Amino acid sequence: MSPASSHYDAIVIGGGHNGLTAGAYLAQQGRRVLILEQSDVLGGLAKSQTLESGGTMPRYAHLAYGLSPKVVDELKLSSLAMRTLPTTHLSPDGNHVEVSDQGARFVSGESHPQSAAYESLRHRIRSYSEALAPVMHSAPPDIDAGLGLSALRDLFPLATAGLKLRRQGKDEMREFMRILLLNAYDFILDELDDGPLAGGFAADAVLGAWAGPRSPGTVYALLHRYAVTANATVPVGGMEAIIRALADSATAAGATIQTSARVQSITVANDCVTGVVLEDGSSFGARAVLSSVGPMPSMRLAGKEHFDIETVRRIRHIRAKGTTAKVNLQLKETPVFSGLETRHLGGRLLIAPSVQYLESAFNAVKYRRLPDAPVIEAVVPSAASGTSATAPATLSLVVQYIPYHLDGGWTDAARASLSHRVINTLSSYAPGLEQSIIESEVLTPVDIEAETNAPGGHWHHEELNTDQLLTVRPINGMARYQFGVGGLYLCGASAHPGGDVSGIPGRNSVKQLIRDGGV
Amino acid sequence: MTSKAVQPATGAAANDEVLKGLLPTPFHARLAPLCMNRQWSDWAGFLSADVYDFVEQEYFAVRNAATLYDISPMCKYRIAGPDAENVVNRLVTRDMRKVAVGRVAYSLWCDEAGMLIDDGTVFRLAEDEFYVMCQGRMLSWFQDAAWGYNVSISDESEALCGLSLQGPTTFSLLSAAGLDAVADMRPFDLRQVEPGLWISRSGYTGDLGYELFVAPDEALKLWDRLWEAGRNWGLVPIGSDALDLLRLEAGFIAPGHEFQPVFETERRDRGRTPFELGFGRLVDFNKGHFNGRRALLALKDKPRYHLVKLDIEGKEPADGSYVYVGRGKQVGHTTSAAWSPTTKRNIAIAELKAPYGGKKQDGLWVEIDAIKEGKWMRYSAKATVVDTPFFINQRSRATPPGPF
Repeated sequence: MSPASSHYDAIVIGGGHNGLTAGAYLAQQGRRVLILEQSDVLGGLAKSQTLESGGTMPRYAHLAYGLSPKVVDELKLSSLAMRTLPTTHLSPDGNHVEVSDQGARFVSGESHPQSAAYESLRHRIRSYSEALAPVMHSAPPDIDAGLGLSALRDLFPLATAGLKLRRQGKDEMREFMRILLLNAYDFILDELDDGPLAGGFAADAVLGAWAGPRSPGTVYALLHRYAVTANATVPVGGMEAIIRALADSATAAGATIQTSARVQSITVANDCVTGVVLEDGSSFGARAVLSSVGPMPSMRLAGKEHFDIETVRRIRHIRAKGTTAKVNLQLKETPVFSGLETRHLGGRLLIAPSVQYLESAFNAVKYRRLPDAPVIEAVVPSAASGTSATAPATLSLVVQYIPYHLDGGWTDAARASLSHRVINTLSSYAPGLEQSIIESEVLTPVDIEAETNAPGGHWHHEELNTDQLLTVRPINGMARYQFGVGGLYLCGASAHPGGDVSGIPGRNSVKQLIRDGGV
Repeated sequence: MTSKAVQPATGAAANDEVLKGLLPTPFHARLAPLCMNRQWSDWAGFLSADVYDFVEQEYFAVRNAATLYDISPMCKYRIAGPDAENVVNRLVTRDMRKVAVGRVAYSLWCDEAGMLIDDGTVFRLAEDEFYVMCQGRMLSWFQDAAWGYNVSISDESEALCGLSLQGPTTFSLLSAAGLDAVADMRPFDLRQVEPGLWISRSGYTGDLGYELFVAPDEALKLWDRLWEAGRNWGLVPIGSDALDLLRLEAGFIAPGHEFQPVFETERRDRGRTPFELGFGRLVDFNKGHFNGRRALLALKDKPRYHLVKLDIEGKEPADGSYVYVGRGKQVGHTTSAAWSPTTKRNIAIAELKAPYGGKKQDGLWVEIDAIKEGKWMRYSAKATVVDTPFFINQRSRATPPGPF
């Protein structure tokens, strides 16, 4: 029998941004909550690592793409000062394009011939995305529930989205319906010539996804990403500031956070969770367990025998093949990109010089090979987050279209090859970079999965496409956070509305849990 | 097409195979010459006789003598391994831990919404070995159920063939065939009486009977042995038409009649829960999780329908009839109906919308359309709900079975 002190209202598995968000909301609601993190550092996919040379750098995610203003507001994360990062779209011919609040222009200062077309497209995408925002912040409607009062309440956000769009006029509504399931390639190139600007939109549509710009549903993915915040942001102090703010918010409200606590199993009795058992043998009781790891690991923790056969089948067939690797470089000095000034290094650097470039890079991953020229999103963490200039020079690289199931497996040679391709691609923009490298760390999707439990090493925990969205995310029949066993909830990126560092799944799952009367 | 297939058929059996595009069962060489009507149907891709001679004669043979029915086309799945009990228990609604080795259990299995997928008999051969016999193809479903468990699942449908030996003289017949080892077998017992010959005391007729299973290359030997022993016991083969009447008398449901297997329905709500079919006693909520448990728990006390047995006045079978209440409110329809020759009653199984058939059972009547000498006639007939099977006979349960 466990002592009373080890009994909680709710236990959250995973101290990533979603787990911490869930824990903070629960604590804010006066619930006794315990957050368990397997690693010795909080943060999950948004975690930072301390370097030997002092200083830190983001280990996986280096930008907060869709951090929800609602979460920031409701959890009173007032310490967070988010910086919106301008993006510099690198071009092999040196005519890099800078996009900021002032619009698109060449880094040389000349105006870009397509800046008006770019602005117009960006405006369109934003207006569609904003219409989707209410859908993000509520549980997807229960389609089996019929049209009762509670079902109508669930349909409200969806109806709001519809109305917002309808109010823009019949033509706009029709246009929205036309593009919704379209591929990004056609949608973008209808408006823009192929080049770095077009490539930038395409990258926003596919970063993190097992999808090329020509894959169906990539326009929706673009709208989805822009629905919460349309810009890449990073807080002052870096990604760790988000994690720290969430953790502080949770503990200030009374939550207990335990690191290096690997959960071995979720205990179940009479079809309800009763708590968790850790690998070290200690156990905690709780009326509710919220798991921020994916459906498959969550199911394994609770035991497959508690899940219906159809559920198990759907979970087995979730598409979650990570395509994104992370390369972290420690450098002798701040990198120098030809044609860029120091201020550009405080933004996001994107090597996606054309939509076609992305599609070609995706071809390789389809056949489980490495692309010759990968898509790279580069961030100089210290510059982007406004931390001191004395911090060691680092370069954080999100490298796209790196297969989880690499042909031949992830041997040392394969990793070296990946590293080589990345440095090679970068060197054409930043000559001399290679000589400046003190240490480089390659994190393949397989490594990311092993370290974080993110299924397939996928940064959305599960592919964000039309067959795995809204009422069918993470799987058909389980879109409303409750996960089979009574009191068991999913609060991670695999739940609606999905990945990126948004905190919304964590928030929504707690709202649903409380509404269901689970705590 | 091979040259062999286009060659003119020589015998009746060969002709049937070509015409129907169906496979012969291992017993076909014996069955074909006996099938006077040559009225063959498709049962899971195999030739299965509807009637051999007269349906009445076949029916009465089951109630008065001994009969053989070829059940080889039945789908048979073997679930074996350390986790076999867990997997079967996960599939079916009843508690398989309570089914001992050497027993047969009538079982239902449901989808996640609690809708019936199929019913069948589960044979427990050993602690860690089961056979599931049913109408529908279930291999992929069973494999899905077994994911992550230490079991092997195999489709043994064609590796095993079977005969259902039914009727009051069947025990005497088996004794004459040297198989009196079945004497102490109780209903639903299962035993390997000789190497490779499994016998269960079970059936689909409500009468004394056994089901015998052997490998296909033993099929004709088994048939000849029973046929020889059956000379003095009135043995005849029967087809599916007679069986359908027999199972109705015994109150057994049939897929496609009393329920629509949910995998074959286009809309899930066309499926039925075990409670709606009157099988609440076969749903055990205390055994831990099983497929559809959560849905069934929610639906347990809210059946949308009630399946009832009806005794109908008159003698005209109420096949495909609407059921009404009071002055003409339509509340359901019959799913199977026939004149029962043994009980001399006009019987039916009907599905009624709740609460009719449940709390409300009075004032029911059916409308029967029948064609008489070329003229359609419409009758109204009172219907009374019956709680017990129409045909019950002590001999079907006596152990050891009495000689007849």
